[in-house]
Amino acid sequence: MKVVGARLPRYDGVGHVTGRTTYVDDVRLPGMLHAAALRSPHHHARITHLDTSAAEAMAGVHAVITHADVPLLVYGHLSGGGIPGDEPLLAKDHARYRGQPIALVAADTVDIARAACAAIDVGYEELPALFDVRLAFDDDAPVVNDAFGNWYDQYEGNLDVRQIRKGDIEAAFDAADLIVSGVYRTQSQEQVPLETQVCVAVPEPDGRLTIHTCTQAMYFSLGVVCSHLQLPMSQVKMVGGTVGGGFGGKVDTASDTLTALAAQKTERPVKWRWTREEEMLASGNRGPWHMEIIDAVSRDGWILGRKMLTIHDAGAYGRFSVYGVTKHSFHHTGAYTIPNLHFDGYVVFTNRIPTTAMRGYGITGLSTAIEVHAERVARELGMDPYEFRLKNANRVNDTSPNRIPYEDPSTVEVLQSLASATGSELSDDLRAMTRDQRSADMLPDHLAAQIGSGGGH
Amino acid sequence: MALHRGKGLATIEYPTGMNQNGDPSQAWIKVKPDGRVDVFSGTSDIGNGSKTVQSQIVAETLGVPYDWITYDNSNTDSSPMCTGTFASRATFVAGNAVLKAARQVRERILAIASRELEIDPEDLEVADGTVSVKGTPAKSMGVDEVAGAATFVHGELLTGDGAHLNPGAAIVDPETGEVDKPPHAAISYAACAAEVEVDDETGDVRVLKLTQAYDIGRAMNPTLVEGQIEGGAVMGLGFGVLETCYPYYPSAEHRGDGMSTYHVPTMAELPEINNVLIENPSEGGPYGAKGIGEMANNAQPAAIANAIYDAVGVWVTEFPITPERVLAALDARSEPRREGRMVAFDEELSINSFSSTRTWGA
Repeated sequence: MKVVGARLPRYDGVGHVTGRTTYVDDVRLPGMLHAAALRSPHHHARITHLDTSAAEAMAGVHAVITHADVPLLVYGHLSGGGIPGDEPLLAKDHARYRGQPIALVAADTVDIARAACAAIDVGYEELPALFDVRLAFDDDAPVVNDAFGNWYDQYEGNLDVRQIRKGDIEAAFDAADLIVSGVYRTQSQEQVPLETQVCVAVPEPDGRLTIHTCTQAMYFSLGVVCSHLQLPMSQVKMVGGTVGGGFGGKVDTASDTLTALAAQKTERPVKWRWTREEEMLASGNRGPWHMEIIDAVSRDGWILGRKMLTIHDAGAYGRFSVYGVTKHSFHHTGAYTIPNLHFDGYVVFTNRIPTTAMRGYGITGLSTAIEVHAERVARELGMDPYEFRLKNANRVNDTSPNRIPYEDPSTVEVLQSLASATGSELSDDLRAMTRDQRSADMLPDHLAAQIGSGGGH
Repeated sequence: MALHRGKGLATIEYPTGMNQNGDPSQAWIKVKPDGRVDVFSGTSDIGNGSKTVQSQIVAETLGVPYDWITYDNSNTDSSPMCTGTFASRATFVAGNAVLKAARQVRERILAIASRELEIDPEDLEVADGTVSVKGTPAKSMGVDEVAGAATFVHGELLTGDGAHLNPGAAIVDPETGEVDKPPHAAISYAACAAEVEVDDETGDVRVLKLTQAYDIGRAMNPTLVEGQIEGGAVMGLGFGVLETCYPYYPSAEHRGDGMSTYHVPTMAELPEINNVLIENPSEGGPYGAKGIGEMANNAQPAAIANAIYDAVGVWVTEFPITPERVLAALDARSEPRREGRMVAFDEELSINSFSSTRTWGA
């Protein structure tokens, strides 16, 4: 092979580092208007009235978009997967997080658009807000999400929890020499792309819309825009593919639909570029995760069983959170094989910005929790951390939490390589270990029942 | 005041492709009359380098120089469907689509060359932009000549299309979580070792060194792989010790609203980073590739937390591990509750200490 495996320079790298790449914000068109958003100042409020007439009457203002202008106000990001939508494109009766968009103004300049936002007359009745996921289940907790309540309740139709049940968890805990529990809480993280959310939408003479987009997923976003606008895909052309940094948050399609609506209404090109403050305070970030792990372990270092409770702080609306928790549940044993499992995972809603996909979605906090817990267990056992991890490592035909045999697991190899690279001593047995299917002393009783000749169950 | 050094370890795995699969990508390719190749793919390049990697796959598969490839992912009118750049899928899933399209083009090139050279296509090979007869390299013609012949002699367009879809694992048993087919395209593995220095007076944690071993299936472009895992390491460092949208979580107040009030890692925090790339080719990835992008920030936070324990003997399990949290842990020096075979850490954080309706655990 010559090309694959070669250290070739980035295809478009020169343009990026010399400032010659055309990003969305570099698109400037004759007659282009500029947009600004009115956002909720409250974490949780009923919107009692919304009057845009003063803003619309201002010189230089071409359109004000509200919920009434959106053909399909609520469209779920996971609707294709059977998960109902819950988030309106613009708030209608309720604002459920500080920063939620209520209206978009298109005007000759950004300054005029912002002044017009300030001139929109909105009445709010503040409501109690919920922020601590541990209180979400209580009877007196404020209700955050009108589609699902305080936690998502429609897994596979009607379950309110993502469950994993595998093996015989009670037997594993009965047999344990040590039962180690811990609680791990990982935090919300900003995406921080250099390019903030930005869009330029252009109404074409033939009635189509051209949308210059910063999306990470042009066809997904095409589907989102066409669903809200109730248009066939032939009527919208997404132009993009070169993104000024995206870590998951630009799957959200946060600016395209509203900018397109403004372009339709004004029949002018419209640009909506979020400020850095808006990017920080109103765009979807990585969600916080609350994870409680209890491991049943044997004195000689086997993890016999795991009970785990996960509560994902999704923010005010679902977006991709159900996907995130399901993925999390499928991987909650990490790089190890644990035959007996009892996992409960919840998507809990709070009055904060809806969280969204971000690099490592569903797993970053999980890996953090699992690996600190592993270290604690190893220390409680007085066992070398490499040995503990290698002993429990995924091996060929071990099965995942959802009972899929691992085909080519590399836990053993990456640990051995890391030990070599850091000069850590491994015993001859650990050095000689391979990923191959367990046998003899590597196939202890607690695993034998689940690992047959053909793998699987 | 004293500085304490410690070492910690973490091992992770991560799926390639959308969880439960079902995420299609498509591509098509056409060849200009001089043999230069236009690739149309719907994959957005978010900085991950997918333009580069997909162009490499096409060049390798066709047997033409890399600089013959023009890659166009600029719009949804000319590029076919791609679900998007997320879920570590651009190299594996979308890469398979361009691979399949390129294989079709290669067949068309060989078919035209076969007619021109009067040799069976099976006896021909392509490399470096030249079609030659196996074992008789002198008998050959350039891919540019083949494309010219296709256009002007045979009246044909050299083109190909490809689509890749790992069938969706749609059925999840709601009771057990069992799925009907694999929910991932591949799984990648990595391990990370951290070395830290902790100041027991200020609580400041300095990450001195990260050593990382990644099984990436196949390093399509080692420079880009290193970019991903070093960039990811810095993001993991931020997640581990610096960054939070909610400094007083669960409170939603006091959010940082800019680069000066929300602290991402800078050059000042950058540790020494050493990488080991392991190539354990995947079954179904193009040239054995697996996804690498998303797992790259997952191993460092725990490795750092474990190194902090090694350094000063306290566990911090609320992230990020800020100086305040380190100092609080050093002040408390709390031991887990030990009863018989039970060892219970962090009970003050548990839902059991907060909820009036939910209890959880043993």
